Amino acid sequence: MSTEATELDVRGTVLAEGTRDLPGPPPEIWFRRRHTLLGALRELRSYDELMLSLAERDLRTRYKQAGLGVAWAVLTPLLLMLAFTFVFTKFTRVDTHGAPYPLFSYLGLLPWTFFASSLSLGSTALTNNVSLLNKVYCPREVFPLSQIIIAAFDAVIATLVLIPLFPLLGYAPKLEVYYVPLLLLVLLAFVIGVTLAASITLIYMRDLRFAVPLILQFGIFVTPVAYNADVVANTPAKMMIYSTLNPLVPVIDGLRRCILYGEPPQWWPLFGGACTATFLMVAGFMIFKRLETGIADVA
Amino acid sequence: MLRDGEIHAEQIWKRFRVDSRPSYFQDQLGRLVDTLRRRSSPGWRWALRDVNLRAEPGDSIGLIGANGAGKSTLLKILTRVMYPTAGGVRVAGRTGAMIEVRTGISPQLSGRENIYVTASLMGLRRKDAARRFDEIVEFAGLEHSVDRLVKFYSVGMQMRLGFGVAAFLEPDVLLVDEVLAVGDASFQHRCLERMRYVLNQGTTLVFVSHDLAAVEATCVNGMWLDGGTVRSVGPVREVLAEYRGAVEVDAEIRPRQDRPVNVVHAEVNAPDGLHTGGPLNIDLRFQSEVSRRASIHVGISEGTATPILLVEPGREMMLEPGETDVRCSIDPLPLPRGRYYVWVGAYRYTTHGEELVAWQPVTSFDLYGPELSTAPRGIVRLAPVHVASSWESSS
Repeated sequence: MSTEATELDVRGTVLAEGTRDLPGPPPEIWFRRRHTLLGALRELRSYDELMLSLAERDLRTRYKQAGLGVAWAVLTPLLLMLAFTFVFTKFTRVDTHGAPYPLFSYLGLLPWTFFASSLSLGSTALTNNVSLLNKVYCPREVFPLSQIIIAAFDAVIATLVLIPLFPLLGYAPKLEVYYVPLLLLVLLAFVIGVTLAASITLIYMRDLRFAVPLILQFGIFVTPVAYNADVVANTPAKMMIYSTLNPLVPVIDGLRRCILYGEPPQWWPLFGGACTATFLMVAGFMIFKRLETGIADVA
Repeated sequence: MLRDGEIHAEQIWKRFRVDSRPSYFQDQLGRLVDTLRRRSSPGWRWALRDVNLRAEPGDSIGLIGANGAGKSTLLKILTRVMYPTAGGVRVAGRTGAMIEVRTGISPQLSGRENIYVTASLMGLRRKDAARRFDEIVEFAGLEHSVDRLVKFYSVGMQMRLGFGVAAFLEPDVLLVDEVLAVGDASFQHRCLERMRYVLNQGTTLVFVSHDLAAVEATCVNGMWLDGGTVRSVGPVREVLAEYRGAVEVDAEIRPRQDRPVNVVHAEVNAPDGLHTGGPLNIDLRFQSEVSRRASIHVGISEGTATPILLVEPGREMMLEPGETDVRCSIDPLPLPRGRYYVWVGAYRYTTHGEELVAWQPVTSFDLYGPELSTAPRGIVRLAPVHVASSWESSS
């Protein structure tokens, strides 16, 4: 970051025109922001209303402008599902273990869309609000987090499609649905970690903005959205590695297992994914808080 | 442990990178390469150098200085929007900032919705905002348009919305940046009124403005920033006097000599010294090529800006070819001690006369005496003072 990383420059080298020969501050008073994880969380807690207000503001703005309104939230996963269904039932076959393919892919698309829109909205949340960041103080993670709330809102609406979809396809959801909240926690941790890290990185490296859609396009193929996870990982060991590297794998696989097949999730892969997701969340938050200090300088 | 409203900012240094490399990342990478190759990097620009600011609860400090002196940077550091490069800042209690917040307003939403969003941006809880909603709307003068979309608001209305919310924060420390640049006269007046109210409640105020009169009337203490360093700090009158003095030095008096009519000599004197409440003579010597009928105006200013006193009436007289001496006497001179400027302008004597001598400062003088007894503390914006005068002329 601007202050710490380049101490050397000031003490060791010539200063620019105009400030030449002006000595810098004595090194012992160099500013270092001190904060603890717990303190940061407590502060964030007191800004919960702002987070909701910002999410509400953006949602209202979006739906006032859009003619189709809420329908957009449903359309994205729905159209992808139709496209997938067309390709993967007409041209190639995907082994869904007996479940109807539209349901199978929709259960993959829901968490994927949540992740994708959180990342694409959240990563630009800081850069889009730069002028605000230069004027008002608040914990800066409020901005990307409010975008995650928006993505979650969309995801909830998109989930409602499942209600007509099950009877329409003549398939009944299984009773193991009670595992779902656990899976969603892993998903949320992963999304928060990635989004926070991406948004703060984008402030310092604006060009990465163009990389995000690319990463997402790539990601939908390395994540078992259209196909089953066991196509990639056909042994427990491979599944473990696959899940640990990509926490979306055990989440999507787990959703399908408990909703479509009535099985519990695969515990060890889920544990691996949960570890990665938790690590990403904590690391993402800490990186964010560390780099947050310089936002007003570079923005 | 600080009490609420206390500000301790010690040895604040702040630097910005010199923008020779476009992105932050490239800049850092470049510096790293430079260091490895033992080359000198493009340096840093120091926006603040060793600035100390201390305030007790209830203090009011006016920050003055030229553009780019670091006033806004200091304010940003106090609001924690920006962090210092070196030094320590502690601001105790709730901080509220009256700043231009139009950026947080979404045009697609109604005024009502925007008030709530702005309120939560400024750290006001939703229930507090709801409780003060009517007051905010009234203060911002938006009673009839609160449910309209903000995109149909005028720029002034949008700004008033932001300030309206800020005015009701009731913080322990209030930071105000150029509030007077916004809104119409009556809204400015309401803003200042509100600031005064908040001050009386014991709030600490840090006020940044180029309106020196407002700073003088609002603040007890002043701090003059110049090129990122503190040039002077102390009671607001003294700091302002020093500041004005320095501005005067910068703006050297050099009456123009290329017009049909020129002021070739200007002098201020008095029979027994220049004193407050005493008489004052302004001697001017005009030079003209031809005989002209001119109306001459004289004013006195405290800085180099707008005159605070205009000698009334202007004088209509003949300027003969060659030099004409003019004396303008003021008795008594109702000004406190300080350094003043004499301004002169001359116009062809018709209704909208052509300019003969451009309105300009021609000389300065120091006035001795006690300071005028201060008016009740309040926010007064200066207006030119009109006084009676007598004239005589000779050629």
